[in-house]
Order: sequence, then structure tokens, then C-alpha cells
Amino acid sequence: MKRTPRLWTLFALPGTTWLVALFAIPFYAVACVAFGTIDPIFRDAVPQWNPLSWDFTQASQTLASLTSGPLRGVAIRTVVYVFCAMVISFTIGFPIAYFLARHSGKRKLLFLALIIVPFWVNYLMRMLAWVNLLSSDGLFTRFMRLFGVNYNWLDGSPITVVLGLVYGYVPFLILPLYATLERLDWRLIDAARDLGANSRQAFRLVTMPMSKAGLVAAGILIALPMFGDYYTNDLLSRSPSTEMLGNQIDFFLNGSSQPQNGALLVIVLSIFLLALMSFYLRSTRQQARQTTR
Amino acid sequence: MSTSNFRPMQRRDFLRKLAITTGGITVGGAVLSACGGGSSTTADGLSIGTPQNPIKLPVSTDPIADGLANESGTLEILNWADYMNPESIAAFETQFGVKISTSIYDTEEGAVAKLRNGTFKPDVILGMTDTGLAKLIAADILQPLNKSYIPNFGNVISGLRNPYYDLESQYTVPYFIYGNGIGYRTDVIDKSAFAQNGYEVLWDAKYNGRLAVLDSYRDTLAMAIFRNGGNDANSSDPDEIKKAGEALIEMREAVNPKVDILGYQEIPAGNRDIQFLWSGDMFTAVQYMPEGLDPGVLGFWYPETTVTKNDFMCVTKAAKSPVLAHQLINFLSDTDSALKNREYVGYQPALETITVDTLLASGTIPESLVDALVTPEKYASGLAQVTLEPAVDALWLEQWTAFTAG
Repeated sequence: MKRTPRLWTLFALPGTTWLVALFAIPFYAVACVAFGTIDPIFRDAVPQWNPLSWDFTQASQTLASLTSGPLRGVAIRTVVYVFCAMVISFTIGFPIAYFLARHSGKRKLLFLALIIVPFWVNYLMRMLAWVNLLSSDGLFTRFMRLFGVNYNWLDGSPITVVLGLVYGYVPFLILPLYATLERLDWRLIDAARDLGANSRQAFRLVTMPMSKAGLVAAGILIALPMFGDYYTNDLLSRSPSTEMLGNQIDFFLNGSSQPQNGALLVIVLSIFLLALMSFYLRSTRQQARQTTR
Repeated sequence: MSTSNFRPMQRRDFLRKLAITTGGITVGGAVLSACGGGSSTTADGLSIGTPQNPIKLPVSTDPIADGLANESGTLEILNWADYMNPESIAAFETQFGVKISTSIYDTEEGAVAKLRNGTFKPDVILGMTDTGLAKLIAADILQPLNKSYIPNFGNVISGLRNPYYDLESQYTVPYFIYGNGIGYRTDVIDKSAFAQNGYEVLWDAKYNGRLAVLDSYRDTLAMAIFRNGGNDANSSDPDEIKKAGEALIEMREAVNPKVDILGYQEIPAGNRDIQFLWSGDMFTAVQYMPEGLDPGVLGFWYPETTVTKNDFMCVTKAAKSPVLAHQLINFLSDTDSALKNREYVGYQPALETITVDTLLASGTIPESLVDALVTPEKYASGLAQVTLEPAVDALWLEQWTAFTAG
């Protein structure tokens, strides 16, 4: 009998190893770069592995830039873009997931495949395709002109960047949402209807609360990569007026002699996302408690 | 001439975009990041030559002996993407009965790091600039050249036979030259605009949404310094650097510029009218001209005060085929081979024997782009860009962040 817990611990070993090797150690390395120094000759990062000798001067400068300097605008813009992209993603994704789970009937698999298949193509390729479609003589631009919309999509427009984010990540919202909705006990909705709720009330009082965990999970799943995204912006805009945090990280790490700044921004972003994650974990725990009650 | 090159260009287009999304750049020799320095030795010990303080680099080994036989087998090259004509590679392979294998780098820093840790073990490095050279010397990666294998060294433009970054050309032979300037559509902008207003044209609200500057903080900030009336591409004056940053912010508010290196395809495609770019980009642009459109719509303004740069070829100390490596450098410095190579790469070989007339006669350059050619005189009057001291570099980066953070 006493052996069982040890056996279970053993089961956790691969996961723990994975987490330590591919998250904890790399994350520590990022911190060591952020609070380390720069090689005076080769101008690349020299990580400071000993936390006692971490140097915070550069970090405090960058933090000051984030709170009151030029990076502040970038941080705010990033949050706004991701928020807008999430709202649009939910507006598009939820009805689709709902339809798939509830009303697609026999053709469920076909619809699922239709949603997934385009995403077998690499993200970059799809974005490059959009660059063609959105260029001034592109198909999409010409099509929109038929409706009187004459818009220069690729001229550093925030709309294009937000829509690009939506397009890139919306399937990752639909699939987990679909998985949650599919498992819902629809008899509860029938029961609500029987008890006098109209369809809107049943949706608000029964469907929504039951799918909350799925909504939060799907939201987090797309919010995380959106916050760090830089290539959508690189391909669709390249304008300072749409610069996101990911672009600044990319510049500091790849194009400048201050890689510590990039590492520091990675840490700041991670802490911010960690807060989001803990919100998710708390809400799923609450959900679990409610369902077991 | 553009049609024959159309297919490879598509691939190259893709590769460049790919490189951009991964943060690097592959446009030949042009370096995104830290370049140059103010004095011949920076405070931290990196030896850097400047035009005012040229440098003779230290030599720790002898060059290879005269008259050795060519090695057989494979010659390993480290190069930017699409920075050597595949036909030139094939010609060299046939002539010397060897195989060339190419590795690609997309930032100079990345290449130096991978050369130091042994990821890259090439015989020849193509397209490095003086910034990279200082680091390669510090890391003791290069071997001095034996010029008896490179008789074509005499073709190199005279201003570069004894360059400030490598006096007596102990380690390097120039590859391509280019200058910073403004590429534009002649069907939208008249040449006279630049004669009247110079750099100021980039601040003209008329071009809102149709304009771009280089995604290279050293190049674009230096341009803003020139626009403000300065002439120091390596300024360490905090006030001058700050004013340059403010000028760029003023531009951002007036014209919402893009910040990228894609002028070579966006200008011919008609997606933008004007961009601050490297002169070589406009020759590449000729190959991106939509079919049936006259490349005469491509124009270039070569400013009087601007940065002129070159990159070069060098041989590593660990080269397994050092003789072949010298042969390749000699091959690429041959007038005819260099012309052939240029047809694909677009950039201009750093050879005196390839004159403006030769290039025009070759039929690959439209008359409208004559100004984009770097003549020996333009090279001589161009300003050099050298690595900055870390503290000064930080000032430049601060202004660049203020500009790009929008």
C-alpha cells in the first residue's frame, strides 16, 4: 500500500524533468542574461550565473522606459491590440465552436476538418499569402473596392495587425472551446427550457457558466502567443506606429548591442503572463469545486 | 534581362522575408547592428580602424607559401543568402574541379558567434564588414592572405587597396560597395525635388503611407544627422544624436514611415514611392520589376553627405583548403566573373575595372539608376561608419527605440 504514492511520484518524473529542462533552466538563463553584462569586445551577452552578482542598473533603466519612457507606449499598445484581437476572436470563434458542438450533426467531422486544414499550412506562408492579398493591387483589396472600401491595408495599419493576429490564432480558440462545449450536458439546457427559461436565458444562465473554464482556457491559449508575437507585425506592418513588445524584444536580442534589454522584456512579459495564468488556474479550480459540489 | 532571373528571385524574396521574421537580415553585406567606432582602439580593447586612424592589424601566423597546388574536394563558404550568383559558383566548380558548399548567415554578430564556437567552419567568408573584421581579428579566426594567389587584387578600386580598416589589405579583399541614399519612383517624384530639398523630401507629408526608411539604427539615425546639417556618421555628441532622434519622430508624425529593408521589392511593386535605402537595393529592384513595366521608373538620389560602405572576402585560419580559398577570392575579383556575379546579386563589385560605362553597356542597369552607382570619386567622398563605444552606442539605441516605439 505504501508503494503507491512513490509510484505516482515516478509518473510525475518525465513531466517534471521536461519542465525543469525546458522551462526552469532556460528561464533562469534569461534572467542571467537580463542581469548580466556585455562582452566588451564581442558585444554579446555574458550571462551572470551567480544571482548574488546580478547587475540591475541596465534593468532599472529599461523598467523606467517601460513605465514612463518610450517603451510605455509599446506596452500599452500591445495590451490594446491583444485585447481587441481577443474580443474579435471570441466573436468569431464562439459561434463557430457552438455550432460545431451543437448543430453540425452528421457533418461535424467535415466542418472540423475544414477549420483545421488551412492551418496545416505554415503560419509564415499564410501571412505571406495575406501580404499578397492585401497589397494595393491584391485580390482582397480589389474585392473590397467593389464595396467602396478603399483602404491601404499594408500601410502600417493597426487594423491589419489586429486582424492578422485574429486570423493567426482563432483556430486555437475554436478547438478547445469546441472540446468544452461538446462535453456539455445539453440535457441541462433542455431542463432549463422546461422550467420556463427562454433560449437567451438558458444560454446566459446555463451554457455560459458551464463553458467558462473552456472560454478562459481558450482565451489564455491565444493570449499568450499573441503577447509575444512579432512576425505578424513584421510581415503586415513594419511601421513604428504599430510596434509591439515582441518587436522590441526581437530588436534588442537580434539587432542591437543590448541583449539584456531584450531578456529583461521577456521576463517582464512572462511575469505579466504568469499573472494571467494564475487567474486561469484559479478559475478552473473554482469551476472544479463547483461541479464536484 | 529580368525575366531570366524571375524564378530564383521569387525564392530569394521568400528567404529574405523569412530572415526578416527571424530577426536577421540577408541583404548583402549591409549590417543591421553595431558598426564601427570612434577611434582606432575603443576603451574596451577592440581594435578598429577609422579613416582618421587607419589600422594595421596584428598578424599571428604566416600566410600560406607561394606556389602551392590547389586542394581537391570541397570548398566551404560562409555567405549572406543570395550573395553569390549560382552560375558563378558553378563556373568556379567546373574550372577548379571542386565542389562549393555554402553556409548562410543573417547577422554579422551571429556569424562571429558561430565562428567562435565552431558551428561554422568555412574556408572563405564573404560579405563581412569592418565591424565584423575587428571581432574576427580579436577572436583570431582569420589568416593573412598571400597576394601572389590573387593577381586580380589590382582590379580593386584604388581607394580600397589599402583600406583604413585593414592597412596593406593583409586579411581582406573588397567584395561589393554601396552607398546610402534615397530610392524613388520617377513617375511620382521628380529628380529636381532632391536638388532643391535633399533629405527633407523624406519629411514631406505628401508621401504619408508611401515612404520607408532602413531598419538599421546606424544608417537611419546617421541620415537624420545629415538632414539636420551634421556630417558625422559616428557622432558621439549626445545633443546631435538626440536631435537626430527627434527628427525621426517628426518624420514619423508627418509620414508614418515603414521601417524595413524591403524597398528593393516594394518600390518596383508600386507599394511605396520613396525609401531611404542602400544603393545596391535599387539594382536588385530592377529584377523585381513587374513584367512589362519599364525599369526607368526606378530612380536614386545619391546625397552629397552620406555613408559609403564596402564589404569584403577573407580566409579563415582553420581553412582546410586555403589555396582554393585564395583562388575563389581571385576568381571573384576577375572583371568578367564579377560582372556575371553582379547580374544575380545586384550589388556593385568593388572593382575599378567595372566602370559606370561597363555597367551601362552590359544592359542590366537602366539609365535612370546611373546615380546609384558608386564611382571611385563617390567612394572617396563618402563617410565611413565605424563601431561606436558602448556608451555612445547606448545613446543611439535610446533614440532608435524612441523612434520605433511609436
